[in-house]
Amino acid sequence: MLKEEREMFRWRLGRDPIMAEFERLQKGMDGLFEAMTGPRSRSMGPLWRQARLFPLLNVTRENDSFVVTAEIPGMKTDDLELKVEGDTVALKGERKPYEPVSDESFHRRERASGTFQRSLTLPARIDAQGVQATYKNGVLKITLPIEKAALPKPIPITAG
Amino acid sequence: MTDAELQATEKQEIKPAEGELTHEGVYFTPAVDILENPKELVVMVDMPGVDKDRVEIDLKDSILAIVGRVFEDEPEGEELLSEYRTGNYFRTFRITDVVDQSKITASMADGVLKVTLPKAEKAVPRKIAISSE
Repeated sequence: MLKEEREMFRWRLGRDPIMAEFERLQKGMDGLFEAMTGPRSRSMGPLWRQARLFPLLNVTRENDSFVVTAEIPGMKTDDLELKVEGDTVALKGERKPYEPVSDESFHRRERASGTFQRSLTLPARIDAQGVQATYKNGVLKITLPIEKAALPKPIPITAG
Repeated sequence: MTDAELQATEKQEIKPAEGELTHEGVYFTPAVDILENPKELVVMVDMPGVDKDRVEIDLKDSILAIVGRVFEDEPEGEELLSEYRTGNYFRTFRITDVVDQSKITASMADGVLKVTLPKAEKAVPRKIAISSE
């Protein structure tokens, strides 16, 4: 694995004891700050919202696959890089800014641009060969089949 | 080029108090870029998940209204992580006399709507040559 990928923040799904501990710590610290400075006007929300990770991801499990979707409008598929290893999917890319030519000027610029990378650890190992990714209407959809070995296997019980 | 890191911005839902919307479903305010050059104004609107056939652009009383409707997939399977919400998009712009309202065009690609508003003849700056006597 490349160094930068190791450093990429891994976001784990499900009952992750590390994340649970972070959340517990966050709640504790929030309580402490609140006791010192009074209640905050704005709720800080869950960790992912504070971390402002891009892109935001929705994940569902459909039968024997995980489906990850992300809204990244206005991308070229060449500027997206997707890697799967074991139970982790890594997404990297750059949303290139529009460079105005000399006689153009921006009145308003709300659409964000820049580089992004996110890595997500799923609750089961992925069959890397079967992964499919589509990009349509600015939405990236990744279908990740669960590795056969990771699926529950019914064992017939024979009467002795 | 920028090497700035992209950060997620939370979608801003339109609150009933801020608009006249009584539509069904959730509406978000899309992020826009507005660009001007000597000939036209270009509005780029981020509407991920919206198909080109589901965009409506209305021009009435100098108000340009953009509506984008998402096709809601029936949620299947078990939800494991939900960081963003999906919904429709709505935003309006006031168009001044600078724009030739009959010549507005629009195109859609990869969830980004591009509306081109050509400037009216009189608004295009003209260079006046000054001759020496």
